[in-house]
Amino acid sequence: MASDLIYLDYAATTPLHPDVAERMRQVQSEAYFNPASNHAAGRLSLAVVNNAAAELAKLLNVSLATLLWTSGATESNNMAILGAAKQREHRGKHLITMRTEHKAVVDVFRFLEKQGFEVTWLAPDSDGQLPPDRLEAALRDDTQLVSVMHINNEIGTVQDVAGIGSVCRKHGVTFHVDGAQAAGKIAVDLAALPVDLYSLTAHKFYGPKGVGSLYVADGISIEPLMFGGSQQRRMRPGTLAVDLIAGLGEAASVARRKMVGDLSHLSALKQQLIRGLQDIDGLYINGPSEDGYPGILNVGVEDVEGESLLLALEPLCVATGSACNSQSLESSYVLRAIGRSDLEAQSAIRFSLGRLTTPDDIETAISLYCQAVKKLRSMKPGSVL
Amino acid sequence: MSENPYNLAVRDCFANPLHIGDVIGGVTAYFDDQGMRIRFSAGIVDRLMVELRFRAWGCPHVIAAAELFCRQFEGRDAQDLEQFETGSIMHDLAVPAEKTGRILVLEDTVRSLRAAINDHLIIKQD
Repeated sequence: MASDLIYLDYAATTPLHPDVAERMRQVQSEAYFNPASNHAAGRLSLAVVNNAAAELAKLLNVSLATLLWTSGATESNNMAILGAAKQREHRGKHLITMRTEHKAVVDVFRFLEKQGFEVTWLAPDSDGQLPPDRLEAALRDDTQLVSVMHINNEIGTVQDVAGIGSVCRKHGVTFHVDGAQAAGKIAVDLAALPVDLYSLTAHKFYGPKGVGSLYVADGISIEPLMFGGSQQRRMRPGTLAVDLIAGLGEAASVARRKMVGDLSHLSALKQQLIRGLQDIDGLYINGPSEDGYPGILNVGVEDVEGESLLLALEPLCVATGSACNSQSLESSYVLRAIGRSDLEAQSAIRFSLGRLTTPDDIETAISLYCQAVKKLRSMKPGSVL
Repeated sequence: MSENPYNLAVRDCFANPLHIGDVIGGVTAYFDDQGMRIRFSAGIVDRLMVELRFRAWGCPHVIAAAELFCRQFEGRDAQDLEQFETGSIMHDLAVPAEKTGRILVLEDTVRSLRAAINDHLIIKQD
């Protein structure tokens, strides 16, 4: 990374942990074989894959057989939602999700709407939460799938997965969770949580890009989206990317060791950031300020335009909205869903902190933010003369 | 997002604006549309725009465009505003096509400034 950049966009992606990079390098040179090959070299690579699965299984407290390898959370979400909806089409065509979901979920549901499914888009409260009783009220006899994200990528809301899952279990509805921002960052015990399908990706927790996983609980079946081989019980055929999978496994191992320390580190940094920004006139926090994920703080400020703020903040690397959506000139639909106006949503900046963020980075961020707001406000027309 | 959404001219005009502010007692024009707000003020001596200042609320391209306009037209005859056209600004600042509407807000503000200066000059003649 260029030395003058201050990276506070860990919700977009994280750097490889050195142990992950080393493990991948090792596998690339020593175990690059096809794990489906029925010879000694193939079995060597298969052992690498199984070891990685064991590490991920420990992180999530699940059995190895429940995990499928994918290319990342987008594919996992597609597999889970499309696969489950198609599998249970005979049961009903009503699906439920939230207005604050990631595009990798929203667009899948929109596709299903075009296929004849009916989708209820639930609005969250102002903190981004979906109260389980609100979900229960939306359930119908023909509801067959509910999908919510564990940690919101823009505002850091930690959803009540246990409460929502309990409602789903009570009514016999399949429950999918997009865990892209949660896996490897907060404790996720899928043996205890009433979750049927759980999507994750490695690059959000210091693993490589291009690999993820989908947890499919025992007794849950989904229709495959891809065809072409017997790998992964024909659910997701294709030669496994052994080095990427090994990297995911190593990242899961590192995450288990570091999670408690990471959360403490992030909480301290987030509080430092809030303290440094809270005296700015017109500043407000988007989403939860107290019980949200400590690695994400989304703030808005009156009388400042978001895109100009982002440029004025350079060399700070932050996001104005979902990273995947930043090319769009539209304001964040997530912020609109929690009740922010278009103008308010346009000034939003998401700070996402990570393992390598330092208190000095936060001090610099506070200083740059204050200067940028002051500068842009000085440019603003006061009123019509 | 493109590799670099802002060219050097945008970055320079945005980071080092030389024309932020108001000309006290000057001729002013204000436009507010598409979430953009732009105000120009001009100090007029004879027919010359001896001082041009702006205030703007909008994206970096809009702020840069307002600054570039001031750089290009300060010190010139008010009649030269007839020559203003958004095409050269769009080109110089490599404004993406989806932001064309925002630059047209600048054009409306310049047109409004031209009218205000003409009114000012007519009143002076009277």
